[in-house]
Amino acid sequence: MSYYFAIIGTQDNPLFEYEFGTSKQGGDGQSRFTDQARHLNQFVLHSSLDIVEEIQWTSNQLYLKAIDKFFNNYISCFITGGNVKLLLLHQPLNPAGAAGGTTRNSTSIGANPTSPQTEEAIKNFFTEVYENYVKAIMSPFYKANMEIKSPVFRARVAAAGRKYL
Amino acid sequence: MQPLEDAPLTQSVQSLPMAAAAAMRSPPNQRQTLASDAHPLAQSEASLLPLRERRAANPSAASLFRSTLTPPGSRSASPAASINRSPSRALSGSVFGGAGGFRHSLLDTAAADSPGDPLNLILRSFVPHIAIYGSEDVDELVGEKGFRGGLWELLRPFGEQVQGKVTIRDSNGGSRTWEDFSVRFTRFGDGVEEPEPAAGGMRSPPLTAVNGQAAASPKKAGSLVDQVERVVDRHLSYAEDAYMGITSPTTPTRHGLDTDATSVYYALYLRRLLSGIPLSCHESFAHPVACVMAISSRNPSPIEALRKLYTETTQGGNRLPVWVDGEYLRYYVLVHDEERSDITKSLALFDQMKRHFGLHCHLLRIRSSETAETDDDSQQLPRSDWMTPAEELADIERSDRDEDFEDPTRYIFGSDATAIRTFVREMVTQSIIPTMERNVSVWNDQVASRRRGLSGRFMSLSKRFTFGGSSRSSTGTRTTGSTNYEALGFFRPDTPEAIMRRLADFAFMLRDWKLAMSTYDLLRSDFQNDKAWKYHAAANEMAALALLIMPQNMSSKTRIETINQMLEQAFYSYHTRCNSVYGAVRCTVLALELLRLRGGSGIDEAVRWGIRILETGLLGRIGDALLKERMAICYASKHGAGSQAWGSRRRKSALWSVLGAETWIAQAKYIQAQKCLNEARKMYSLLPGECGVQNFGLASDFLADLNEQLKEGLRIDIPTRGDEEGDNQDHGEPELLVDEESEMLDRRRSRRTSLIVPGAGGGTASLETAPLTPLVPARLSSVEDEGEGTSPSKDGFG
Repeated sequence: MSYYFAIIGTQDNPLFEYEFGTSKQGGDGQSRFTDQARHLNQFVLHSSLDIVEEIQWTSNQLYLKAIDKFFNNYISCFITGGNVKLLLLHQPLNPAGAAGGTTRNSTSIGANPTSPQTEEAIKNFFTEVYENYVKAIMSPFYKANMEIKSPVFRARVAAAGRKYL
Repeated sequence: MQPLEDAPLTQSVQSLPMAAAAAMRSPPNQRQTLASDAHPLAQSEASLLPLRERRAANPSAASLFRSTLTPPGSRSASPAASINRSPSRALSGSVFGGAGGFRHSLLDTAAADSPGDPLNLILRSFVPHIAIYGSEDVDELVGEKGFRGGLWELLRPFGEQVQGKVTIRDSNGGSRTWEDFSVRFTRFGDGVEEPEPAAGGMRSPPLTAVNGQAAASPKKAGSLVDQVERVVDRHLSYAEDAYMGITSPTTPTRHGLDTDATSVYYALYLRRLLSGIPLSCHESFAHPVACVMAISSRNPSPIEALRKLYTETTQGGNRLPVWVDGEYLRYYVLVHDEERSDITKSLALFDQMKRHFGLHCHLLRIRSSETAETDDDSQQLPRSDWMTPAEELADIERSDRDEDFEDPTRYIFGSDATAIRTFVREMVTQSIIPTMERNVSVWNDQVASRRRGLSGRFMSLSKRFTFGGSSRSSTGTRTTGSTNYEALGFFRPDTPEAIMRRLADFAFMLRDWKLAMSTYDLLRSDFQNDKAWKYHAAANEMAALALLIMPQNMSSKTRIETINQMLEQAFYSYHTRCNSVYGAVRCTVLALELLRLRGGSGIDEAVRWGIRILETGLLGRIGDALLKERMAICYASKHGAGSQAWGSRRRKSALWSVLGAETWIAQAKYIQAQKCLNEARKMYSLLPGECGVQNFGLASDFLADLNEQLKEGLRIDIPTRGDEEGDNQDHGEPELLVDEESEMLDRRRSRRTSLIVPGAGGGTASLETAPLTPLVPARLSSVEDEGEGTSPSKDGFG
C-alpha cells in the first residue's frame, strides 16, 4: 500500500506533496511507487479535481471520501473552506484477486479501499493534517496559494501518516 | 414461412424431375470453377512472391487508404449517396451534433446522420444481409466488366445506401420512414463460424472451403480483432510515410478534439470490427435474410440454371449450416447483357421467370464491356466501406509485394449504376422489407407473444421442471432433450429460442427497438437457464444496445443500472465463459459509444467500460491507443455548468490524451501522438486557471519529455525536407527558445513554456505540425549563416 498525498491550491497548483507507504502490518512507511507511476500519480490526482469540483456541491461534509478511481488508484478528498483540496491517492498493493493476501488482510486498511475502516482511517489522517495545515498557513509570512515549505509541517504530515495509515 | 415464393418453385421442381436431376449431377464440376474463380488473388500472390520488395509509396496503392485520407464528412458513402445527400447535409451532423436532446431516441440526434459517427456505424452494420449466389455465366459477364469477384463485387457498394426513402412498419402498425437504410451483400456461404460443440454432438458439415476465400475463411473471433488491428496499423503507417514530408498533413486536420467528428482511424477500427460479423449460430445478423439467385441472358437454359442454383442452396454441398434457417427469401435476377443479348428474348424469359417463381424477380440490364475512366458517362465506383478486415488486409499486402499493382478503383457506366440502384431499391422495398415485416409479425404472434403473457411464464417454468426436482438438484446430469440446446451445442432454426432470436434481430434491423428489446429480454433468461452462454451473451449485448438506442422512459439512474447489468453479463459470458474476444470487444466498444451519446452520467459509465477493456487487455496496441484517444473524447464531450464549467471533465480528458500520446509515441506513430498532445494542451488551456499540470514537477517533466520524443521522432522521419522549406518559415524558432528560458522565472507565464510548444495552442491544421518539425533546418541554416557573417533571411525576420 502506497500513498501519495497532495494539497492542491485554488489554481490547480500543488501546495504540498508527500509520498509515503503504510506503516501498518509491518510496513516500513516507504512508498512503493515505481518511477513510471510517479508522474502518473500527479496526472491522476490532477484529473480527479474534475470529480471534486462536481462532488463538492452534493455534500455538506468537508470529507468527501473516496471520490475517484483510476485503474487501481483510489483518490480520497478533503476539501477546506478556502477551496484548497487535500487529496490522497492510495494504491492497494495486491489488487483484488490475489487470494492469499486478501484473506489475511481483509480487515486491514490497505486491502479494501472503500471499506468503512479505510474511510475512517483516512478521515482521521485528513483531520489531523488539516489542523496542522491551518496552523501552518496562519504564519504571517504565508500568502494564499503559496507552496508550504515548512519542515515542521512535513514532519507532522509524516507522523499522521504513520499514525493512521 | 414463405408460402409465396416456395410453393410455385416446389411445384415446378416436381413437374420437371429431369432437370432437377441434371442439376444435381453438375455441382461438383461447377464448384471447381467457382473456387478457381475466387482464387485469382491467392494465385497471383504465390507467383509474385519472389519479386516481393518494399517500396516507399505506390501511387495506385493510395486508393486503398483513401478511407482515412479524406475527412469522413466529405466522402460520399456510396454511389447512391452522391445523389441523395448534398455535402452540406452530410456535414451538418457534425455541426449540430452536440446539441441533440436525449429525451428521445438516439436516432433523433444528429449523430445518427453523420457518416463515421459510431451510432451511424452501428445502424449501418446491423442491417439485413443478402447473400448473392450467381451462376457461372453471370460471374463471367460481370468479370468482363472488370469485377473478378463476380456479381457480388459489383452490387456491394450499392447496398450501402438504398436510394430514396424506405418506409418500415413496426409491430404496432405505425410506419416510419428512413432515408439511410442499407443492406449488406455477402457472398453466399462466406464467413461461417462453426459453433463449439457443447456435448460432442453432431456438427454441421464444414462448408467454408467450398465457396472460395480459403484464405479468409478460418476466421476465428480472436483473429478477427487481430486483423482489424493490422488493417488500422497499415493505414496509420501509410499516413506516417506519406505525410511526413509534407508541410501540412491532410490526415490529422479535421476532428481535433472536436467531439462530434470521430477520428478517422477510430471510425475505421469500428467499421472493420463490425463489417466482419461472422455467420455464427448465436446471433442471426449475418444469416441471409434473402438470397439473390442470378443468371445472365447468355445462359442457354435459364430456368434450369435457376433451379439448379436453388437446389444447391437448399441441399447441395453449398448449403448453409443446419443452424441457419433455410427458409430465407429467394430473389431471382436475370442479368441482361445490353450489348450482346437480345432484349426481346430476355423479356420473354423474364416473363417466364415471373410465371415460374412468382413476384420476387428482377430484370437487371447492364452493359457487359469494361468501363474506362475516360468513357462518356463513366462513374467511379467507390470501394466498399464495409470490406471485411481480411479482404482489406489481403489487398494491402498485395499492393506491397506486387510490382504492378493495379489501382483497384473501378468505373462503371452511369446507366449501369442507375439500373443497379433501381434494382436494389426495388428488391429492398418491395420484397425484402415486406417479407421481414411479415416474418416479424408472424413470429411475434405465434412464438413470442405466447411467452410474454402469464401462461408463457408458466410454460417456461413447466419446461424446466418436467423432470422433477432431481434435474434441478444435480445440475451436471440433466437429461439431454430437456432443453433444445444441450444435445447439439446450438439451437435448431425451428426451436422457439432460435425463432425468437431471429425475430429480435429482424426487429433490430428494421429499427423497431421496443420489440427487439422486449424479445431479447425474454431470451436472456431462456439462454441463461439453458446455459447457452454465447447466446446468452449476445442476447444481453443486443438488449443493452437496443435499450440504449430507444427512447428512454425510465429514470436515467435505473436505466443505467439495467444497462450495466446486461453489459456485465454479456461481457462476462463472452469473455470468461466463451473466451470470445471479438464478442467482448464489440459489446463493450459499442456500449461505450452509445453511453457516451447518452451524455450525463453515461459518460462516466462509458469510460468505466473503456477502462474495463484496457484492464483485461483484449485489444492490441493500436486498439489500446485508439481507445485511450477515444476516452479523451468521451470526457471532452461532457459539458459543465456555468462559467466554471463545473461537472466537465477537462482534466480527465487531458489525462487520457496524454496517455494516448504516450502509447502512440511508444509505437512511433508520431502524427497521432502529436494530435493527442495538442488536444491535451488545448484542454489544459481551457481550464479555469488556464494552467495544466505544469506546477506538478514530475508530470510536467514527463510532458516535456514526450514533446522532446515527438520532436525527435518527427525529425528522424523527415531528414530531407528542411532544405526546401526551412529557410522561409522558421527563423523565429531559435529566438523563441531563448525567450522560454528567460521566462522560466515568471511562474505565471512559465506554464506556456513547459506545456505549450509555440504556436500549437490553436487547433488550426497547418499549425499542428509546422512548428515542431522545422527546428533543425532553422538551426542549421543559422549556423551556416554565421560563417558568412550576416544572413539576409534572418534579418528579414528578426
